[in-house]
Amino acid sequence: MNAVVDFPVKPEARGYLARFVPDDSEPGWLAARRQQAMTRFAELGFPNRKSESWRYLDLQPLENQPLLPSPAAPRADTAALSERLAHLSLPEAASRLVLVDGRFAPELSTVEPRSGVWFGSTAHAMRERPDLVRAAVEGIEGDEAHPFAALNTAFFSDGFVLDIAPGVTLDRPLEIVHLGAGISESSFHTRSVVMLGEGSRAGIIETYAGEGRYWRNDLVGVLLGQRAELTRTVLVEESAAAVHLAQIEARLGEGARFTGFVLLLNGQRVRHEANIRMGEGAKCVINGAYVVTGSDEANIVTVVDHTAPGGQTSELIKGVAAGRGHGAFQGRMIVREHAQKTDAHQLSRNLIIGQRAVIDTKPELEIYADDVKCSHGASVGDLDETALFYLQARGIPADEARRMLIDGFLREAVDTIEDIAKRTHLLRRLAGRLAELEG
Amino acid sequence: MMLEIKNLHARLADGREILKGIDLSVAAGEVHAIMGPNGSGKSTLAAVLAGREGYEITEGSVRYQGRDLLAMAADERAREGVFLAFQYPVEIPGVNNTYFLRAAVNAQRRHRGDPELDAGQFLRLVRATLKLLDIGDDLLQRAVNVGFSGGEKKRNEIFQMAMLEPRLAILDETDSGLDIDALRTVARGVNGLRSPDRAIVMITHYKRLLDYVEPDYVHVLQDGRIIQSGDKDLAAELEQRGYGTFADAMGGDAA
Repeated sequence: MNAVVDFPVKPEARGYLARFVPDDSEPGWLAARRQQAMTRFAELGFPNRKSESWRYLDLQPLENQPLLPSPAAPRADTAALSERLAHLSLPEAASRLVLVDGRFAPELSTVEPRSGVWFGSTAHAMRERPDLVRAAVEGIEGDEAHPFAALNTAFFSDGFVLDIAPGVTLDRPLEIVHLGAGISESSFHTRSVVMLGEGSRAGIIETYAGEGRYWRNDLVGVLLGQRAELTRTVLVEESAAAVHLAQIEARLGEGARFTGFVLLLNGQRVRHEANIRMGEGAKCVINGAYVVTGSDEANIVTVVDHTAPGGQTSELIKGVAAGRGHGAFQGRMIVREHAQKTDAHQLSRNLIIGQRAVIDTKPELEIYADDVKCSHGASVGDLDETALFYLQARGIPADEARRMLIDGFLREAVDTIEDIAKRTHLLRRLAGRLAELEG
Repeated sequence: MMLEIKNLHARLADGREILKGIDLSVAAGEVHAIMGPNGSGKSTLAAVLAGREGYEITEGSVRYQGRDLLAMAADERAREGVFLAFQYPVEIPGVNNTYFLRAAVNAQRRHRGDPELDAGQFLRLVRATLKLLDIGDDLLQRAVNVGFSGGEKKRNEIFQMAMLEPRLAILDETDSGLDIDALRTVARGVNGLRSPDRAIVMITHYKRLLDYVEPDYVHVLQDGRIIQSGDKDLAAELEQRGYGTFADAMGGDAA
């Protein structure tokens, strides 16, 4: 721990570097990778706000009061966590995998085995299927440039692995719940991977919630084979003092389809980044909605890279900022020279409640091919006063009327979720959040 | 007295005075029609009574069942039994029509101290009301007024009115632009509401609605004032002579 280091170390990285202890029980390839990543993070430090993709998120609270990775998992009160799960979880999930403070909690999980499907914790996969974990770590580039991805590689304790054999279809969604138990102030680094074989289909829903002050640093790798289809729904309801930085790195094979939905409802600093690389004829849908209030900040950052012909992408992001909340959407679409016939559309619609809330929306189109259809649109507006009056003129109190309009506004995005159980669940969570929204 | 308006003056934020001294008394059980040309202040009067923001009351008073109506917020007025059927019902994307109406009905019930209706009870009330008005249930599952035709919007207003059973209903040009079937629905709704403990104020440009809903009194609004009041024959006279010549004939400073 006190070894002299022969590389430059950013001041904010020191505490993390001090916590870094190589684990002799891990395979050599992983130990080497972790070491490399730790060095990288020490060099990079935290991204500063001059960096374009981080300019709308203030990480000062995290820099001033570091949240270091916790070495061991303290066991939380299972009964209390079960009760919390009952509210948070999807009623009809086929299997549920629960991670508490970034580590698999078998007593809260129910995972039904199924042929052609490997679904379990990353730590478990390390023992049983190290090849999958290796793919999750080495198959995903990006931690070279991305400091928190590097930190994730250095410290990830657990996560989940889903591997589906070619041609297998899952009818019901698999659920993954990430809980923060609120026992210690620390950071949870989770690394997960989803690999779908040719022509297979699956849906997952991931929920992030917790209590107390913590930093979640989550990285998910997705590898979709030819014509494989994945639907991933994300619900972020972290504690009001939590920092949530999540990143998904997806590679879509020929004709594959990725449908992502993200609903950001709570957390002091929340950032959801999706980097998607599209194969030939791949389809990508990223829809989402967020609500920020108090002095919270939420960012949705997407980069969709069309590298081959015939890709189709559509994005609809709806944001609501109240109080002194700050929301931002940065949507980058790249269409490479060979990606002819790409069809990519992006729409960002936003609502500002009150005088002090802020929303930034920034589309970026980079097009190098000449035969493509690309469009983007963005709007930021206030609540419709005429509609508000109409509801009030029917006796609905002003607060309730305002909530109905906000709910109606965000519903357009949530309604794009095809699975009725997931959609109903998210609408209910959204309504719960709006009920406590300030005016 | 259900509604008592005295010397009501109202102006817009830009200072333009629209209502220049309205006097009107409406007793329970009565149906009043307020007629007048475009720009006479008809819709402003309706908006001021319903509590819409953006108007400044510079003089006068409005009492509703003995209470100061102008001191109440729009939603409180509605819960106290004032209903405005909008000239241009507002489209509200994402808000389901049934959900909206149930929220409205239950807000009113809470206000009166009645238990709220659950989904089943509410649906039974909806079915009964639709049947009474002879309108279909195709509007229920759509977002409030979104994509409704002009006639559907007005039917939806009347449906809401029937569900909320107001003490004082104000209809702002509910008859304009309606085909004969929709007009009949409106008339059925209004006539169904007539009772000794309710009052209805119909604001209209044309006499047409008055052929279906016979008013007890007709008032002519011109340039922010009521320049003439009478019985239903006044409406016929107006229709025959037109607002311009009518106002001239009144000889007032109104025209």
